Amino acid sequence: MKTEVNQTCCCDALAPGRRVLRAGNTNCPGCGMSLALHWLGRALPDQPMTLCIPAGCAVVTAGAYPTTAYGVPAVATTFASAAAVAAGIRIVENLNNDPGLTFCFAGDGATYDIGTACISAAAERDEDIIYICYDNEIYGNTGGQRSSATPQNAVTTTTPSGKRRIKKDMMKIIIAHHVPYAATLSLAHTDDFVRKVRQAASVRGFRFLLIHSPCPTGWKSDPEESVELDRLAVSTGLFPLYEVFEGRRFRINVKPDFTPPGEYFSRQGRFPKVIADPELASRHIREEWDHLERMAATFPAD
Amino acid sequence: MRKFCTGNHAAGYVLAAAGEANRNARGCVAGGYPITPQTEIMEFLRGFRFTKGRVQAVESEHSAMAMCIGGSISGARTFTASSSNGLMYMAENVFMAGYCRLPVVLAAVNRTIGPPWNIWVDQGDTLALRDTAWLHFYCESHQEVADTILLAFRVAEDSRILLPAIVAFDGFIISHTSAPVDLPEQADVDRYLPPCHVPHRLDHDRPQMLGAMVTPEDTAAHRLELHEAMERVPAVLEQARDEFREVFGRQPDGAISGYRLEDAETVLVASNSIASTVRGVVDKRRRDGERVGMLKIKLFRPFPRHLIRQALKGAKRVGVIDRNVSLGSGGIFWLEICGALFNTPDLILQDYLTGLGGGDVTPEAVENILEDLLARRKSGEPCWKVKAYERMF
Amino acid sequence: MIEIVILGRGGQGGVTLAKLIAMTYFLQGQDAQAFGVYAAERSGAPLRAFVRADNQEILCRNQITEPDHLVVLDRTLVTDHIASGLKPGGWIVLNSPDPPSVFAGEFPGYRIATIDANSIAIACGLGTRTTPIVNTTILGATARVLGETFEAVRAALEELKFVGPNLESARRAYETVSVAETPAGTCSARSSSRSVVTTMSILDPDAGIPPQTQTGSWARQKPMQRSFTSPCNQGCPAGNDVRGFLAAIKEKQFDLALEILHRTTPLPGVCGRVCPAPCMDACHRNELDEPVNIRELERYVADHASPAAAAAMNRNHAVAVIGSGPAGLAAAYHLGRLGYGVTIFEAGSELGGVMRTGIPEYRLPRPVLDREIEHVLEHGVTAQTRCKVGKTELLKFSQRFAAVFVATGLQEARALNLGIQDSTHIMQGIAFLDEALTGHMSLKGERIIVLGGGNTAVDASRTAIRLGASEACIVYRRTRAEMPAIKEEVDEALEEGVLLKELLGPVALNRNGNGSGWTLECQRMRLGEPDQSGRRSPVAIEGEAGRLGLPCDRVILALGQLGDLSLFPEGSEVREGETLIGLTGAPIFAGGDLASNEGTVAAAIGSGRKAAWHIHRTLSGEDLFPKETAPVVSAATIRLTAFQRASQARGSILEPAGRIRSFNEVRVGLSESADHEVAVLESQRCFTCGACTGCDICRANCPEGVLTRRGTDYAFDYDYCKGCGLCAFECPRGVILMEQL
Repeated sequence: MKTEVNQTCCCDALAPGRRVLRAGNTNCPGCGMSLALHWLGRALPDQPMTLCIPAGCAVVTAGAYPTTAYGVPAVATTFASAAAVAAGIRIVENLNNDPGLTFCFAGDGATYDIGTACISAAAERDEDIIYICYDNEIYGNTGGQRSSATPQNAVTTTTPSGKRRIKKDMMKIIIAHHVPYAATLSLAHTDDFVRKVRQAASVRGFRFLLIHSPCPTGWKSDPEESVELDRLAVSTGLFPLYEVFEGRRFRINVKPDFTPPGEYFSRQGRFPKVIADPELASRHIREEWDHLERMAATFPAD
Repeated sequence: MRKFCTGNHAAGYVLAAAGEANRNARGCVAGGYPITPQTEIMEFLRGFRFTKGRVQAVESEHSAMAMCIGGSISGARTFTASSSNGLMYMAENVFMAGYCRLPVVLAAVNRTIGPPWNIWVDQGDTLALRDTAWLHFYCESHQEVADTILLAFRVAEDSRILLPAIVAFDGFIISHTSAPVDLPEQADVDRYLPPCHVPHRLDHDRPQMLGAMVTPEDTAAHRLELHEAMERVPAVLEQARDEFREVFGRQPDGAISGYRLEDAETVLVASNSIASTVRGVVDKRRRDGERVGMLKIKLFRPFPRHLIRQALKGAKRVGVIDRNVSLGSGGIFWLEICGALFNTPDLILQDYLTGLGGGDVTPEAVENILEDLLARRKSGEPCWKVKAYERMF
Repeated sequence: MIEIVILGRGGQGGVTLAKLIAMTYFLQGQDAQAFGVYAAERSGAPLRAFVRADNQEILCRNQITEPDHLVVLDRTLVTDHIASGLKPGGWIVLNSPDPPSVFAGEFPGYRIATIDANSIAIACGLGTRTTPIVNTTILGATARVLGETFEAVRAALEELKFVGPNLESARRAYETVSVAETPAGTCSARSSSRSVVTTMSILDPDAGIPPQTQTGSWARQKPMQRSFTSPCNQGCPAGNDVRGFLAAIKEKQFDLALEILHRTTPLPGVCGRVCPAPCMDACHRNELDEPVNIRELERYVADHASPAAAAAMNRNHAVAVIGSGPAGLAAAYHLGRLGYGVTIFEAGSELGGVMRTGIPEYRLPRPVLDREIEHVLEHGVTAQTRCKVGKTELLKFSQRFAAVFVATGLQEARALNLGIQDSTHIMQGIAFLDEALTGHMSLKGERIIVLGGGNTAVDASRTAIRLGASEACIVYRRTRAEMPAIKEEVDEALEEGVLLKELLGPVALNRNGNGSGWTLECQRMRLGEPDQSGRRSPVAIEGEAGRLGLPCDRVILALGQLGDLSLFPEGSEVREGETLIGLTGAPIFAGGDLASNEGTVAAAIGSGRKAAWHIHRTLSGEDLFPKETAPVVSAATIRLTAFQRASQARGSILEPAGRIRSFNEVRVGLSESADHEVAVLESQRCFTCGACTGCDICRANCPEGVLTRRGTDYAFDYDYCKGCGLCAFECPRGVILMEQL
């Protein structure tokens, strides 16, 4: 009998079978996106799946032609248009009663920035796709520029003194479209991760999964701490784990300990040693949680 | 079925029929976004009840082409329509469709690119996409639009080609003008178009990645592959025209079409609806005894250099009417013809930039062009100031 | 023109190195060029960078295929074809701690220079331990072999704003690079080979071929699965496999758990009640919440599981064991299991030693002790009671038996001069407890003072309460924090109404003048400097204020005991593991408290077991002493976040008011049920430190998916492992370590 908190790893989720991501790929050691792809495959081991991947690290993951690191059909789309390409694929598959699921697998650059119009339109039309964003809070593929997903104070090549503005709240934008299902996911909470992927797969329409994806290269962190960083992101309250149904009903999945955020910041070189106003970070966390908790209390999912 | 309708209506009707014809295969899908003067095409398509298809109004042209790409790589017949700035917004994905050999058909209603905003016609919008590995057809008339759309599907989806195709026609002059058209019966379209087969479509049993990273050497080889596909187009187009005649009893124009060209010493080269105007002028001048003729260029990509060289073999003077310009150089049809005729130093080959931004190209304007051409002793720089536009200059 | 090719991995700063080298030439007035080849790779992937420098304008912009020199930033990139295209006699500068001669055979015809750039970079704090940034170091080495001055290096670094540690690393490399100036051998003809790849058609996008890159070559460290000793196993003086028996309970295999305990200890029921449980102090679960309640689980197993039957054996050698305390019983038990015929000689009337006479029944019920002694006797052991062994008997035994083990414990109690001799009103604690056993003693209405701070003092005071004392008071010269008694025992004593007076030292016992009782004169103390035991010494407070008189009717001394060495020859010293010298006949061993005075049942058991090994080795030659054991797993490698907090299951305890009325067992133990749920749940709190349980967390967290498992053995596909370290970091129980390559 296992005593560990994450039980998923000891069940058939690790059974051998199709690999969404194959070994020999060129992702950085400790890449959160690699883990995300493995867990996606473990959550849905028997489902045919297609990945629409806009420009970003996940395209480069595939590697050099004529090989591919993806064990499922994939399309590298132009940067802004993953959701529309996926919608097109899904329309045809639905017309032909093809089984399987169509995913977008997009970074925060494609999701939060250049592709926002496209994703908003796809969400508004309730296209029958599952949009997964692996959010590493940076334009990783082009060498580390800021995205609107970059958190406040983080240093990037285009925010050398630290990002002035707060992280864009993409979940709020998506749920404003009243999509059937939207959820945040952590690589340190894999039971929760697997359950949410399966939940998304069980409904139709536009589903959105936002994965907090540590990036040792962009965050200047130790590759071995990638999962720990997600653990801390959740326990500090910086990355809430929650689900929203129909854009209206909320369920908080993990109540954070509100560990001091310095625990999280100090393990990453992208946060300056001295943050101008450390109280601001804590205050902001509390404010966001207050809002979320009120929503969950007033509009519960259960 | 003979109808009196707008060019847009005709385009929409035939696109829909083509999509419907694929109902026993993977069906059809279109992403669409409105822009003047194409909007009625999308409205028609949105109103059409497909047995197995969907036309989705999306939020931008970029996404419209993206949706077509998704549909095509899933094995469906795909199409869309756009113009002007919409085509420019779509451009990145237009390249993707071409480079990935996805046989999308795009009805392009030519409209000048802005700003400043101008809804009237010139060919600059589609010509800006001439390097995208798409086939380009420039249509003269309503009937030609209707027929060429079918030709376009037939050639684009042919397993020897597998390249997307633009079918371009004038905004307003064709798109919004009503005229008689023979619109095809669905049963005939079903006979004419084989089911759409995209050999490299997504396959869960053989997972592949479309559009992955390549080396410079691979890209060079791919460009050659696209070029070789382009080279096969004229022959396939001829086959498509022959099959068309078998089914519909008439044969639309091919890559080029000569009008009273056989003994012409002086030739005007035209495309789109200006070709109709030029026909009229040619007849008039012929009545006066001049050996004048017209060469209409319909297939712009691949550019039929060999056919053009042949057609213009006997000509001494050639005037190219360009309702477009590549700024810093000259009219684009002229530039392409220069490339075709580089071995004919004695030929007077003159470019006339006409009707940029949608001005009415009247028979008088064409005659002015002819006069200028006849007066020349040698070729000159592209001519910007064609009389009849005096109020502009 | 000079052309240099640099081979490195993403993240090492190869392209910047090219810039720096080029900059040295540029600043000297030459034309220079520096660029890299970029593709799809990320950190760790091989890449190339190029440098050109020339007095004339450089017009060539192509990649360099026939360089003059080659610089290699990562020793794992060294293969026999990296020099293809390199002009004969050119320099190969390698990042390696090995001297150039090591590479001479691989690269004949080239001049070779080596520098341990990793160490220098790490020492200068450049990059991380796993990914040192070696470019500025290599710059120094390269500039040196190419004949550039260090000033040129400095200028280049300053121009690109590399100062401080970067300059230092370059200087160290410049000064210490090892060179082999003369090329050894001649180059074989090597043309720069370009592999020809046929491009697939656009219609066959990637043929679905899996990646061909063996990314294992990127790794600078590799994971290894190891086993470690758990801290509980390390901490158990009896040598129990604590981790092992807890694992059996997790699987609900209680008989197996008992069998595991019985491999080392014959007295789990005793230890499960009286052991101070150093295993629980060592338990890494202390870092998370509370230790696993190992003691209660040992007791639960002893109380509920069925022991295996003792094997019948031919017993050829006879061994004598003197003393039937835990050391003697353990020695007899282990010798019996090894096939010896053992006879125990016990001076008292019953077996058990201090377990019977020194530990009250309310802590250790007699039936439990009797049952476990019986179990020992089933292993070919006989016993003779009322058999005191002196010098003469010992010498006779050494002729009669193949070996003798003496474990007579500490028979002499430390005395204290309180000014009078009165054996009624001043008693030794052990003797008091012994007499209390008879059931004939009553202290009704007496006020008892117990002197001492160990378990005997506590036992005596609680026994006094049960025998009707109106007041029992422990007087101790230090404070409670320094008392060596088990903490829970002190708690229970205080609950039962025992008083504790700290910082008081006894001076004298005086009879009261009016005839009503006695007064113990005490000296007030304060704590001074620590003594040899590490505890702060009591220092008397002088003057009138330093004196205090305590009324009492009896004083019990529990000040510790000493061993009785009278049965050994004069001048003998008793040391654990040593045999008595100078005697003919069988070897004589000593153990238990007599030898090492560790004072616990568990330590005595451990001593007895070792004695059995000593005897067995002496008699048979077979060495059962454990070979090198694995180190203890460090608490820092236990991933506490993998476990949910859960409070420790506790045994229940009788109410103080009720329990002082009898000698019934005070602690009830863990809740029982048919499915043993409480015990099983408590055992699941055990992390299984240092031993793999096949939980698959490593496999789940591997971004490359290179782990496979059979049982609890993991295999790593090193062809693809990038050395990220996530498996080692996430392993809940610290069984994966990263080794530097």
